[in-house]
Amino acid sequence: MAAAAVSSASGLLAMLTEEQAELKLHALVNLNSLVHLFWPEISTSVPTIESLYEDEEFDQRQLAALVVSKVFYYLGELNDALSYALGAGPLFDVSEDTDYAHTLLAKALDEYAAVRSRPVKPSDEDAKIDPRLEAIVERMLDKCISDGKYQQAMGMAVECRRLDKLEEAITNCDNINSALSYCINLSHQFVNHREYRCEVLRCLVKIYQQLPHPDYLSICQCLMFLHDPETVANILKKLLFGSKEDALLAFQIAFDLVENENQAFLLSVRNILAPTPSVNPEAPADAPDVVGGDVPMVDESSNEPNGSAEVDPAEVLQAERLSKIRGILSGETPIKLTLQFLYSHNRSDLLILKTIKQSVEMRNSVCHSATICANAIMHAGTTVDTFLRENLDWLSRATNWAKFSATAGLGVIHKGHLQQGRSLMAPYLPQSGGVGAGSPYSEGGALYALGLIHANHGEGIKQFLRESLRNTTAEVIQHGACLGLGLAALGTADEQIYDDIKNVLYGDSAVAGEAAGIGMGLLMAGTGSEKANEMLSYAHDTQHEKIIRGLSLGTALTVYGREEDADTLIEQMTRDQDPILRYGGMYALGLAYRGTANNKAIHQLLHFAVSDVSDDVRRTAVLALGFVLYSEPEQTPRIVSLLSESYNPHVRYGAAMAVGISCAGTGLSEAISLLEPLTSDVVDFVRQGALIAMAMVMIQTNEACDSRVGAFRRQLEKIILDKHEDAMSKMGAILASGILDAGGRNVTIRLLSKNKHDRLTAVIGLAVFSQFWYWYPLIYFLSLTFSPTAFVGLNYDLKVPKFDFMSHAKPSLFDYPKASTPQATTTAVRQPTAILSTFAKAKARAAKKEAEKEKAASGGGSAEKVASPSEGAAKTAEKPEKDKEKESDAMQVDNPAEKKPEPEPTFQILMNPARVVPSQEKYIKFLEGCRYVPVKLAPSGFVLLRDLQPSEPEVFTLTDAPAAVSSNPSATVPASQSQQASSAMAVDEEPLPPQPFEYSP
Amino acid sequence: MDPQLREVAQLFERFKAAFVRKDFNTCATLLTQLKVLLTKFPSLPPSFQPTPNASEELTIARQIYEHAVVLSVKIEDQEAFERDFSQLKPYYTDTCNIIPPSPEEYPILGLNLLRLLVQNRIAEFHTELELLPPTALENPCIKHAVELEQSFMEGAYNRIFNARQAVPHETYVYFMDLLAKTVRDEIAGCSEKAYDYLTTNDAQKMFMFSSDQELSQYISEEHPEWEIRDGCVFFQKAKESQPWKEIPSFQLINQTLSYARELERIV
Repeated sequence: MAAAAVSSASGLLAMLTEEQAELKLHALVNLNSLVHLFWPEISTSVPTIESLYEDEEFDQRQLAALVVSKVFYYLGELNDALSYALGAGPLFDVSEDTDYAHTLLAKALDEYAAVRSRPVKPSDEDAKIDPRLEAIVERMLDKCISDGKYQQAMGMAVECRRLDKLEEAITNCDNINSALSYCINLSHQFVNHREYRCEVLRCLVKIYQQLPHPDYLSICQCLMFLHDPETVANILKKLLFGSKEDALLAFQIAFDLVENENQAFLLSVRNILAPTPSVNPEAPADAPDVVGGDVPMVDESSNEPNGSAEVDPAEVLQAERLSKIRGILSGETPIKLTLQFLYSHNRSDLLILKTIKQSVEMRNSVCHSATICANAIMHAGTTVDTFLRENLDWLSRATNWAKFSATAGLGVIHKGHLQQGRSLMAPYLPQSGGVGAGSPYSEGGALYALGLIHANHGEGIKQFLRESLRNTTAEVIQHGACLGLGLAALGTADEQIYDDIKNVLYGDSAVAGEAAGIGMGLLMAGTGSEKANEMLSYAHDTQHEKIIRGLSLGTALTVYGREEDADTLIEQMTRDQDPILRYGGMYALGLAYRGTANNKAIHQLLHFAVSDVSDDVRRTAVLALGFVLYSEPEQTPRIVSLLSESYNPHVRYGAAMAVGISCAGTGLSEAISLLEPLTSDVVDFVRQGALIAMAMVMIQTNEACDSRVGAFRRQLEKIILDKHEDAMSKMGAILASGILDAGGRNVTIRLLSKNKHDRLTAVIGLAVFSQFWYWYPLIYFLSLTFSPTAFVGLNYDLKVPKFDFMSHAKPSLFDYPKASTPQATTTAVRQPTAILSTFAKAKARAAKKEAEKEKAASGGGSAEKVASPSEGAAKTAEKPEKDKEKESDAMQVDNPAEKKPEPEPTFQILMNPARVVPSQEKYIKFLEGCRYVPVKLAPSGFVLLRDLQPSEPEVFTLTDAPAAVSSNPSATVPASQSQQASSAMAVDEEPLPPQPFEYSP
Repeated sequence: MDPQLREVAQLFERFKAAFVRKDFNTCATLLTQLKVLLTKFPSLPPSFQPTPNASEELTIARQIYEHAVVLSVKIEDQEAFERDFSQLKPYYTDTCNIIPPSPEEYPILGLNLLRLLVQNRIAEFHTELELLPPTALENPCIKHAVELEQSFMEGAYNRIFNARQAVPHETYVYFMDLLAKTVRDEIAGCSEKAYDYLTTNDAQKMFMFSSDQELSQYISEEHPEWEIRDGCVFFQKAKESQPWKEIPSFQLINQTLSYARELERIV
């Protein structure tokens, strides 16, 4: 008997209309099993089955519901399918392994999550949720937990806002610590709602605290996000009073917290830890002692009993530890170490600056001050001001606002030089008694510079800046003081400072008022304070566009990171009649939703980018996309790619900057591809933006990683040398060269800390930096975004011991870019002469031969040459090869690869402290059997090291540097410094004898 | 023999007896009992489990449903006819390699075709027709229905009226009567569109009524909106009740303009 198959469900459907319940039931049962085959047929009879479901007397209503649900599922009507599946009750099997069950479960979860996350009052929220839906979701969650799929369960619980289930999943997990860190990631990446994220984190902290061995590093990160300084202080206290290892951990926590740059939070933690206010002024004085006199310190900690007899040794120990941690939390220790690192590892290439200087026309003040800026950025935080000292005459051409900028540039160079900052700037600062010798421009610039030096760590300088602000009536000085105060007291919401700045604002002077607006914003950054409304209303009153612009940016800064809280303010600003306020609204949107990749914000920004009538607003809307998206840099090029082809140059400019902001420091290939065509745009300011953005993206990427970096450097040089290039793009190129080599090639632009927290200072700095469109001195805010790419291992005494670790990658991949060679003069002369390609080829051949000969003679050469054979070749065959490269692009050099005599080593041993660029981090490995073991396995940043052989004497590196730094820099530059700084340009003439650096008024 | 099967067979015998007696009420009650019993056979559609008694069960089930169809015609219940027929159909389409074809198959299929024609469901009629094998078209029952449909489409309505005399099966008479009415409705629909008015004589001829009374009765029952005055039938009202469909010009203009605006905005 051959097996038969049904060809139609019409018979069964007909049976549904029979009178008898048995027949209907029979039909339903059969339909349920055949629905996957005959749903098209059944779909026409759905109303019949639905009426069965609604028939109160029919005892198999649930079965009917199930059949209808399946039909709807096949029809793609998931909403209906879900509501009927809920009607089916227990007949809907959660564990069934079918597409139907999977799809509907997913749908149910979505639905449930959507209902749970709808912002309604908690009272009627519970009533709204369908209990059947809840039951299904709970069944699902329980199943996941019992099956051991904890990550799924956690994700679902977070999505559905079921913290109870989240807790259950985590506590049931075998590896609680990894589960918790997974959850923290989850909450930062996928939880968009700020309040809810706080709830999740609070829940996580609660679980953490119940553990026998809590992971304090993570707890404190969470607590910082929750803004709970008290608990952090308590944890730190507990650890400090514990064993030596606990103390190490406490230091590590402190360093990690400092890295997130939340000044207000750090201040409160510090105050709780050490409530006596008298300690604060003492601390800065202490710090140099700790470093300078290391011997007594070691004695004290190792030989406790030998300490003074009267004082309890434990107390001494605690006091010492407390002062250390205060040093860290106040930022003094990390900043000092950073300064030492940047100073000792400075590899900036003065020749580039020299080339720029020579090619820039004297009368072109834009390029002149751009060059000064580029110098400042290149040496940001290194305290190396050789270039300025060598070119005092040239520098003195800066007048008026250019002088303001030039003076402020010193602040960038000496950024973080907290102790000597004020004495360094002393010659330029306004003299308290009577009229100073300097012009108001340099005085204002000096105040601004002080702010930059003390950015986000302004405890010591606030008072001085306030006095300067009060004692002056010159608007230029007020301008500088307002910016300086804003920087120094970033995000502290200090009422007194606010009032001082407000007085300046109410003076209604355009220049001072603009800075006051920004200053107020900086002061209130991220507080979401009520002051924003006050600022907005003044913006409506005043006539000065500059003031309105300053205020609207300031208002935007106040809502930094407030997400939903800021919606009313954003709404108010974006609906304003005044385009300048709408423009501020764009910044507010970008900053409030910084790094969240929030869909709503992106949507709004894109809308403004194409629909607003003002070009300024459109440009800013696109630019602000960069802020929203910096946590997912891969997304940005895709989102703005269409905008970058817009007919409107402002939109193109915005697109370039958005990519620059969000992909800063990533060297992302897509970003570079997007920016490349824009660097040769027809409009000059688009070129400028694209060049700057490109430099931001490529910072710390060398040619070995991406060949386009080399091409870009050559392009910059070409633009700078080209006499006919527009001033705008020339300025862009000059700045770009500065950014590419920022901070002595040891810093990158980083908007997220290593713990994936947003770096408030950096984001705010970048936002203000993007204002340079209107006001060039604001370029210096870029220095706030710089973060040293260093691994600094520290021992218990917070000093840098000798410690080796490994980078498991080719050294050339992450090496410093090679220093340029002096050939600018020759090319400048030779460039116009036409050279026939045959001649060029012949020349090239000759060059090649010569190079090979040289190679053979030197027999492989030293290790350095091995690492960079092309460089070696370039040096030996210097002139001809360079010329060839310059003059005929057709003659691409393709020989370096084939000439490589030996394979490059695949790893590199790095010495503490070492430069570790972000892309290198994944290759960092710690060696086994070392004397020191890191407390936290972090590939970069400050890492505390546990000493396994505490009895043996320690060898330190970086010990001599502070002496050099702390010596008065306005006096002779130490020999070591000039050697180090000029090692790259040994061919250059001897540095001029340094003189006190002053401007003639 | 399986006790269940025996029970069904006995019940079916009683049903047939009542059917012969034309005791249709008893038939209906017996039929429902039979149907409920049939659900217990696993060998029946849609499961088709190859049980040992499968062929007997299938055969008897088919017979029962065939009788059910005929019964529904006798009691003039079209819904029941449709229901029973669709339950019977799987036996014809899906069991051909299990049990031999039934002698009643073509008459019943023809009956169904006729029903579809009566209900003016021409599309389904053709679907059914396509499903039949080419040889089936030779069968007088099927041929009858096909010819009727052709006449119906051609508008040769008198042929349909005449065909009533030549039915291949006595059960067909019921549907033939109904068909006459369907034809009349069709004619009425066409005349409405085609004429403003008709004289009663012409109308009577056209609707194939033998007297004026029949015509006026038909009009009052089926088309009360028609008007009989001055010896003519006026269709005016019916026409007016069908308004012209307007072109939604404003909506279209708005749409086009908004597209244009969107296009301009595209960057």
